[in-house]
Amino acid sequence: MRQYLLKSLLQIIPVLFLISIIVFVLVYCTGDPVSLMLSDTATDEDRRILIAALGLDQPLYIQYFTFIGHLFQGDFGNSFRYDMPALPIVMERLPATFELAIAAMLVATVISVPLGILSATKRNSFLDVLFSGSSVLGKAMPHFWLGIMLILLFAVELKALPVSGRGTLAHLILPAFTLGTGIAAEMTRLIRSSMLEILNQDYIRTARSKGLLESIVVYKHALRNSMIPVVTIMALQTSTLIGGTLITETIFSWPGMGQLIIQAVNTRDMAIVQAAVFVVAILVIFSNLLADILYRVLDPRIKYN
Amino acid sequence: MSASLETQTPQLQSIGKPVQHTGQFKRLTRMLFKSKTGTIGFLIVIAVVFMSIFAGAIAPHDPAKTQAAKRLKPPMWMEGGSSVHPLGTDNLGRDVLSRIIYGSQVSLMVGICAVILAGTIGVILGLVSGYYGGWIDSIIMRTVDAFLAIPNILFMLVILAVLGPSLVTLILVLGFTNWVKYARIIRSEVLGVKERDYVKAARTVGASNQRIILTHILPNVISSFIVVSTLSVATTIIAEASLSFLGLGIQPPTVSWGGMLSDGRQYLATSWWVATFPGIAITITVLGIMFLGDWLRDILDPRMKARK
Amino acid sequence: METKLLEVRNLHTHFKTEDGVVPSVNGISFSVAKGETLAIVGESGCGKSVTSLSIMGLVAPPGQVVGGEILLEGQNLLALNKKELRKLRGNKLSMIFQEPMTSLNPVFTVGNQLGEVFRLHQNMDKQQARGRSIEMLETVGIPRADKVVDYFPHQLSGGMRQRVMIAIALACNPALLIADEPTTALDVTIQAQILELLKKLNDEYDTGVILITHDLGVVAEMADRVVVMYAGEVVEQANVFELFASPKHPYTKGLLGSLPKLDEQREELESIPGAVPNPLEMPGGCAFHPRCPLATEQCQSKKPSLVEVAPDHLARCLYA
Repeated sequence: MRQYLLKSLLQIIPVLFLISIIVFVLVYCTGDPVSLMLSDTATDEDRRILIAALGLDQPLYIQYFTFIGHLFQGDFGNSFRYDMPALPIVMERLPATFELAIAAMLVATVISVPLGILSATKRNSFLDVLFSGSSVLGKAMPHFWLGIMLILLFAVELKALPVSGRGTLAHLILPAFTLGTGIAAEMTRLIRSSMLEILNQDYIRTARSKGLLESIVVYKHALRNSMIPVVTIMALQTSTLIGGTLITETIFSWPGMGQLIIQAVNTRDMAIVQAAVFVVAILVIFSNLLADILYRVLDPRIKYN
Repeated sequence: MSASLETQTPQLQSIGKPVQHTGQFKRLTRMLFKSKTGTIGFLIVIAVVFMSIFAGAIAPHDPAKTQAAKRLKPPMWMEGGSSVHPLGTDNLGRDVLSRIIYGSQVSLMVGICAVILAGTIGVILGLVSGYYGGWIDSIIMRTVDAFLAIPNILFMLVILAVLGPSLVTLILVLGFTNWVKYARIIRSEVLGVKERDYVKAARTVGASNQRIILTHILPNVISSFIVVSTLSVATTIIAEASLSFLGLGIQPPTVSWGGMLSDGRQYLATSWWVATFPGIAITITVLGIMFLGDWLRDILDPRMKARK
Repeated sequence: METKLLEVRNLHTHFKTEDGVVPSVNGISFSVAKGETLAIVGESGCGKSVTSLSIMGLVAPPGQVVGGEILLEGQNLLALNKKELRKLRGNKLSMIFQEPMTSLNPVFTVGNQLGEVFRLHQNMDKQQARGRSIEMLETVGIPRADKVVDYFPHQLSGGMRQRVMIAIALACNPALLIADEPTTALDVTIQAQILELLKKLNDEYDTGVILITHDLGVVAEMADRVVVMYAGEVVEQANVFELFASPKHPYTKGLLGSLPKLDEQREELESIPGAVPNPLEMPGGCAFHPRCPLATEQCQSKKPSLVEVAPDHLARCLYA
């Protein structure tokens, strides 16, 4: 186990390296931070000084090494909008995004596990057709539009829930559903097909031959096995989940990292963008690692080699 | 996994072979109309394509024409609505129906162009990666990992912020961020095909790598490519709408569904229809493409059907 | 005769498919006495396994038991509701399956899957169930049972897994044990060990056994009485000595003809030409006539019934 972990951690290094290149290329080579940072009245002399100060007159690879050097110290430069180091600003927004993401996963799980199981155990019944149809619809619907429709229904028409902001549980409901529905759609489909496959296995027949309650057959013997692929695939969706928070947070003015990124992109606050991309990438990489570990925990057949 | 691949070999090989076209076409249409969802998907896609090509002839109004006096008129079946504007008007008095019809042009254009671009990059890198293996494979696959670690939408936002939004950059951005899934799928297909006897045989008789890739491997991976591309058009349309919704995609005066949604959002409290109808248009279009894609998968790739 | 443990009367089990109804089991009757081992033999697809699943009440849709009676100690299993049947299953009535490699749940330990039975049918707590599980594993001849109880199935060999399956089946000392091809998937030496184990347990516990097999070698070694099935029907039934000494039905003769001699390589049942007929296109008359070397014109039109051809010896053939 330890060896396996060590090996996985080592494999992350080249990926992080490539991400640093991608971020570097994105920001340094395609943008012109100088004109963004200077006012229109700046003289050529001001410009030259700033270029030198930023090291932009250096050859590209030197610039990259400087960038990497700073990166190792967690220094992504200062946000010019907040006039503060970028990383702490990003980290400060992380809890809100976590809260939303976890709530969305919770919503997705609560919806999809029973629906997927029901669909599989009552295959081709009315319920199965209904749930499968809904999950297709859930995938086809852009979730930002769903969010708007939820606001229209629950906040504008029924006035039951707040439109935006963060604070109480009521604030969390609409964003969590907006983000969770799309995931639930995908998960329901996965659980259904995985469950159908497992229910045909010999060991399910064995379980029934012992006289076990059908609910124990399904929830103990089948569910554990069918969750192995589902958990793995879902954990690999972290990237999509975080991507989803960008828009969801914007719609609901949720003060998380997503909203911060969108604002930073719109104002070209590149230090924040870089820091955020890096933080997100690390989150995704580690959640993939976590998925792998979870997979090994769930399935005793996997050995560490 | 390898065992199931072997048993499926005969079916897979038949996919790559050329078939007489007329017979094939008839067979396909028969199979299409046998599938309920396939038929629905096909009809929706045809309708959307038709709508975008003949937008000028179908749309009742000029989508950009503003009428200050007719702002935020409700749809025709509501009080205050009229059949002149069946789906109402937006905050500038523009006809919602006409804008939806014109909006299909952007969605389809961006969806299809971006998928072609992403597909081309992905197929080439996937073929190279799978066929040659070794260090080049490692580099490409680690790059894929790096791309996968950054959410697509975040990636696109950053590039768009740097390059500035326009139709062309949008297509480029969507193309350059979505090649990853093609590369992975094509690579794994190539790894399977590469070990088949006829490829080995071709190599033994001295066929060049390029020739082997073009004549033996490409035809065998093309069906997965078609399936993935079709479904990709659907996700790309959603991505385009998302970006336009965030103000970083299509810019006014060009009409896009995502942009309409973004406009309508501000008038949600009083005029629900402005944001509702473009969303329905996106959902139906994406649904149609997904149905068509599922149907294609079922007929082109028996392995995937078995998995479903 | 002795007291009947199980009596199957005129059992019909059908499968509804897109192409029509397949009568997999078509009116079969037989009985098993206490402590007796009854073998059901026939080629694959003749309805042996469906018969055993029907007794267990485990026929999966689209299959359905559509008629007949299954009496276990006089109680009709087909008349019981789900709950009552579940109480018998794994308790008085249990089954061993053909595939030891896939018949155990890969994500639970041996102790968990075996202990489950004790906790369910004998209301034991976790500790007691674990203790009984270890004893049971020892009974079926698993060495280091106190260790194996915490193993996952993938850590055991095929033979060991089949022993675990037997332990599960015998956990509650069932009155009737159905063993569906228990040794087919195992290699020869392990086969012999498992058969010996089954025989020993059968003697010790006085359990009635239904042994489903296509291997007449196994039948000769294990069975007291034999039922030969063909195309969903019983074609011959007799005690094992009578059947091997004077088979009456041409199908049985064919099966016996294909029994490998000691000095031969085994080839399964190859001497009967042709294959089991498609159940949707059953031949008229005697179902076996297309493959029967002795078939006459009458066999094509007249369906033979199961008649007593000698004391306690039934056969379904016009010429028996």
